Amino acid sequence: MRAVILDGLVLGLAFGLLGVGMTLVYGLAGVINLAYGQIVVFAAIVISLLMEDGMSTLLAAVLGVLAAAGLSALLDLTLMRPVYREHGEERTLLGLLLTLGAAFVIAGVLTWRYPDGALYIFVDGDPISVIGVPMAVGSLWASAMALVAAVVLLLFFGATTFGRGVRSVIQDEIGARLVGINPSFVRTVIFAVSGALAGVVAIAQSMSGPLTVNAGFELTTFALIVAVVGGLGSVAGAFLAGVLLGVVNALSAHYIGQYITTIILLSAAALTILIRPRGLLGR
Amino acid sequence: MSTVENVGTLPRLGRLGWAFLPVAVAAAVLALLPPIWFGDSPFTTSLAVQALVFASYGVGFNLIFGSTNQLFLCVGALAGVGGYGAGILANETSLPMLAGVVVGTLSAALVGGLLSWIAVRRSLGIIFTGIVTLVFSLGFANLLLGQRDLTGSETGLIVEGVPDRLGDDTVGGYYLFAGLLVAFLIIFRVLQLSHIGWAFRALRDDEVAAELAGVDVARYRIYAATVGSAMIGLTGALLAYSAGFISPATYSFDRVDVRVLVMVAFGGLGTLLGPLIGAGVFAIVDEQLTASLELREVLYGVFVIAIFLFFRRGVVQAIVSLYERVFGAGEPPKPPALQASRE
Repeated sequence: MRAVILDGLVLGLAFGLLGVGMTLVYGLAGVINLAYGQIVVFAAIVISLLMEDGMSTLLAAVLGVLAAAGLSALLDLTLMRPVYREHGEERTLLGLLLTLGAAFVIAGVLTWRYPDGALYIFVDGDPISVIGVPMAVGSLWASAMALVAAVVLLLFFGATTFGRGVRSVIQDEIGARLVGINPSFVRTVIFAVSGALAGVVAIAQSMSGPLTVNAGFELTTFALIVAVVGGLGSVAGAFLAGVLLGVVNALSAHYIGQYITTIILLSAAALTILIRPRGLLGR
Repeated sequence: MSTVENVGTLPRLGRLGWAFLPVAVAAAVLALLPPIWFGDSPFTTSLAVQALVFASYGVGFNLIFGSTNQLFLCVGALAGVGGYGAGILANETSLPMLAGVVVGTLSAALVGGLLSWIAVRRSLGIIFTGIVTLVFSLGFANLLLGQRDLTGSETGLIVEGVPDRLGDDTVGGYYLFAGLLVAFLIIFRVLQLSHIGWAFRALRDDEVAAELAGVDVARYRIYAATVGSAMIGLTGALLAYSAGFISPATYSFDRVDVRVLVMVAFGGLGTLLGPLIGAGVFAIVDEQLTASLELREVLYGVFVIAIFLFFRRGVVQAIVSLYERVFGAGEPPKPPALQASRE
């Protein structure tokens, strides 16, 4: 039982990061990025290719994160420009459709060029005992990375001027513009941050098992579920929802079965929308 | 709908005749295709049947999304409700094909109506409707995989009790689906011409104004979703019988929903013949690209992006306006609308 819950927490932290990457972009740009899972896969493929070329894991990982951030920012600078000319539902709908198209393009190119592409970062070492449960070193590394990313994000939003600027754009775009914040620059930065998070997710996920080139759609789904349950736009909510759903996932997969587990997670998202559309911590 | 408006001064019979002319032309073309084009090649026939199936899904989707702005991202799942409903009934009992088709259609109509009822009751808006129906699609796919005893999981389900001449690579199968599509087109046009069509146009143009003018928006949304889902379910059920074999992939989100969305958007959202034109064009694209599934995926992605960036009212409409601009006939082009053409 303890082991299952700990596994769930490890998974939940990765879920949380996924959800944050999705929710940030929605909160700031009003776009549900359906290509998000494909950006995770893109990072994984870049890292695996660099490692095949003999680059050290650390350097490859850093470059992979940067590449994902770059791809995400590129999406914002090209495909998303016409989206920002729309407002409200129109904007979200157009963003949804265009990122769906982008997801297909990225997935198609990656599976075409690298049909067997996969990233598996093996971390050496004996299992370490955590509250009496032996945990794989890879899982601990993955969790530590997720936690560090979370703390960095919270500090960024809470303590830096730019982070406060981002929050002001989320609250009131016109007001932010009046005090000299450039919303379109902020949006590009947030897309890049969201892409970098996708890179971190790719690394964290591949430490406990291989991340294959086909995983994109499933990752997008999880990101969407977590973001919806946490409340679209709420960073803390996404983390909380990620951890909660990770634990639920592990418990249910262990005691009930994998198919039912996915249905339980999907139902959690559906019920959230129906009962409390602003999610756990949404405004 | 421009036909109806342009000929508003003609006598009533003529007006109706004009309104149904496109359906008649489509029916004639569909009837003549087999003898003049693919004759008795099973390969080409099955491609054509595939296109007809997608055109039929498209009409249903068009009724739900194009007419009443409900983004149903569960076309595949609704077709699967119909298909698996029919298939499981056929295999577990010895009821005839007709019973399976009826049960499959009614189940899909019920599920679609229920989804719409939920969306309307909780006033979900277009995005949350999309997410809830997407979640339903994925949940349904998992249910199919999990219920191994009933559905055969990934290996699929062989549907028995199929008359040979209705197979999906025979001319009989072709005419079955061609007839189905023409029937759907007639229903679509009848709805457009009736008071229901007026309600659809009113609520699509401005929901609040429609509500204020006394249109029961909720009721018409549920109508559209129920009828559209019945169409999708009926198509899925007939496909299960005609193909004789179904698997979760037959009705999966990426195989069905994305294609339907692209085709309908390509032909023009909310238009009568949009789904048929879209399905026809993409059947040709598919035939050219059978070699590489990945490239096809890339191309579909590019199409989605291009259509929603540049041809929001459909490629057909874009060509018509270009023609009108070049030859100076007709009205000036209107600003693009993302949701459904208002013609």
